[in-house]
Amino acid sequence: MNEVAVGIIANPASGRDIRRLVAHGTVFDNQEKVSIVRRILLACEAAGVARIVYMPDYYRIVEMAREGMRSDVAFGVRLEPVPQVLTGLPQDTETAARWMADKGLGCIVTLGGDGTNRLIAKVCGDTPILPVSTGTNNVFPEMVEGTIAGLAAGVVARGETLDDALYRSKCLTIVKNGRTVDQALVDAVVLDCHFIGAKALWETTGLRRVVVTRGEPHNIGFASIVGCLSPITPHEPRGAWIDLLPDGTNLCAPIAPGLVLPVGVSDVHSLALGEAVAIEAPPCIVALDGEREVEFARGDVGFIRLEASGPWVVDVRRALAGAVRRGFFCDPVRLRRLAAA
Amino acid sequence: MKVDSVLLLGMYESMLRIRQFENKAIELFAAQKVPGFVHLYIGEEAIAVGVCACLGDRDYITSTHRGHGHLIAKGGRLDLMMAELYGRASGYCHGKGGSMHIADANLGILGANGIVGAGMPIAGGAAFACRYRDTDAVAVAFFGDGASNRGTFHESLNLASTFKLPAVFVCENNLYGISNRQSHHMNVTDVSDRAGAYGIPGVTVDGNDVVAVYEAASEAVARARRGDGPTLLEYKTWRQRGHFEGDPGTYKDPAEQKAWIARDPLPRLEKQLQDFGFADAAAIRALHDKVDAEIAAAVRFAEESRLPGAGDLLSDVYAA
Repeated sequence: MNEVAVGIIANPASGRDIRRLVAHGTVFDNQEKVSIVRRILLACEAAGVARIVYMPDYYRIVEMAREGMRSDVAFGVRLEPVPQVLTGLPQDTETAARWMADKGLGCIVTLGGDGTNRLIAKVCGDTPILPVSTGTNNVFPEMVEGTIAGLAAGVVARGETLDDALYRSKCLTIVKNGRTVDQALVDAVVLDCHFIGAKALWETTGLRRVVVTRGEPHNIGFASIVGCLSPITPHEPRGAWIDLLPDGTNLCAPIAPGLVLPVGVSDVHSLALGEAVAIEAPPCIVALDGEREVEFARGDVGFIRLEASGPWVVDVRRALAGAVRRGFFCDPVRLRRLAAA
Repeated sequence: MKVDSVLLLGMYESMLRIRQFENKAIELFAAQKVPGFVHLYIGEEAIAVGVCACLGDRDYITSTHRGHGHLIAKGGRLDLMMAELYGRASGYCHGKGGSMHIADANLGILGANGIVGAGMPIAGGAAFACRYRDTDAVAVAFFGDGASNRGTFHESLNLASTFKLPAVFVCENNLYGISNRQSHHMNVTDVSDRAGAYGIPGVTVDGNDVVAVYEAASEAVARARRGDGPTLLEYKTWRQRGHFEGDPGTYKDPAEQKAWIARDPLPRLEKQLQDFGFADAAAIRALHDKVDAEIAAAVRFAEESRLPGAGDLLSDVYAA
């Protein structure tokens, strides 16, 4: 077997945005990310991962995770930073993910929110990702304990699980003036406003249209609007769109942490894979996965298209269930190694 | 939150006024017409303007040694400021304070301050007064990343949060305390993380985007006015000049300087104004001409004013 390698991208900037002020967003400080990464590292080692490649960052999340381990316990995994020049901007995440995908890593564990995973998904190709939630309005990444995430990443990277451990996610492609400019993993929201500003969305005024790849009532954010009317799972080969009506309210949905708000909505329209919805009457902004991202000025034309080409995602429960069926947890070699450590 | 063209053009004009005032200060300092130190705010204008756009005359601010931007954004008079830089008797401090001590109580400007971190307890006191007098006014303290290491920061946030005071703490994180990189003087990278220790919201926002600054400040000011307590806002930004005028800034990475200058808040807003049809090139030019005329008038006022005389020596001072 080739040397088993896992990537870690922990976004130091996730969990900082204005929703801590305007809603009741989780306060997720970087020390907690250090703690989660430490558990991921230890579980990866237990799973037999030989090498972990990580995105360096200004907080030194992975380095601090390693430095904080017990000094009397040997840690046998080789840690390597991606050779990249840090900018402190979101492009650091994309640079790291692209490098990891090019090097053929077995799995990339991501710590962030929907926004972080959106950046990684754009460049990670066929390398599976295992998203761990440390952001605000998270639909795409799950709340999963770091040890469990590390084990799941390890069994996927080692190929010691079954095929159903991965699923191909859907995505929304944003096309502006004939050119693909961005993509979303969960939702794209067309807004009646001019500016990206503080990026996050927390108000229902000015919303025109919501397009989703998925939406379930247990989601938070704008995907929940569809989720509270006509749920769509991540695995269904379809999406949906819905128009927001400025007058009247006929639905309430959890659109931000602590904010269950009434909204007026049209019927839910199903969206088939490959089908597109127009972005009408610019100027407007398109928010992707909860953050205002793409400006449409007067005269710009564009659309949002549902595609099946999102990243491969590790289903943690299935990955570990597959590992059980493969006898991973009872492997005598592994047991002897762990006992010796 | 609706940001309309009137608000946006007003913010652009205010940012431009700060920039041109300081460009003139550079010129005057080089010509040795301005005595003493000047600490320039160039590159950080969006923060002062975006925050002060949420305030009225009844609200208070405390500023820093790098205070020109805060003072102008809060409505400070250019002629009195320029005269103070010149050390003239007509200046805000009658020529005795210089750049770092300008105040205007009628506008709620409780002063620039030469002591790092000294404005925060003053703002806390002002916020207490607002509550005590049962007004809906708020107090805003501007300070830098270095000041967030001082005891005044922690004491001020502790009491403001405990008493739920109508205060907003605005950290302008330009990544350097004098020549000391932030990573060399603190073990966290987001000053907003420190809010958690005091049980108040802390958010980090792009300080070079005036709309983002305004949105966050609007919410924090509204929260304070409602009586819900203080907020810590951290705006990431970049000081384009040295710590003081004359500091060559050789401790900065030229590539990083170049990258930040590409994110200069003024051209960024100008492009947005034009892209969205809020102002054409002629309108922008007219604003430049208007501001340039204001600056020229301020310089003229300063140069025509007298220096303080020997008879002024013992007035307006605490000890004689």
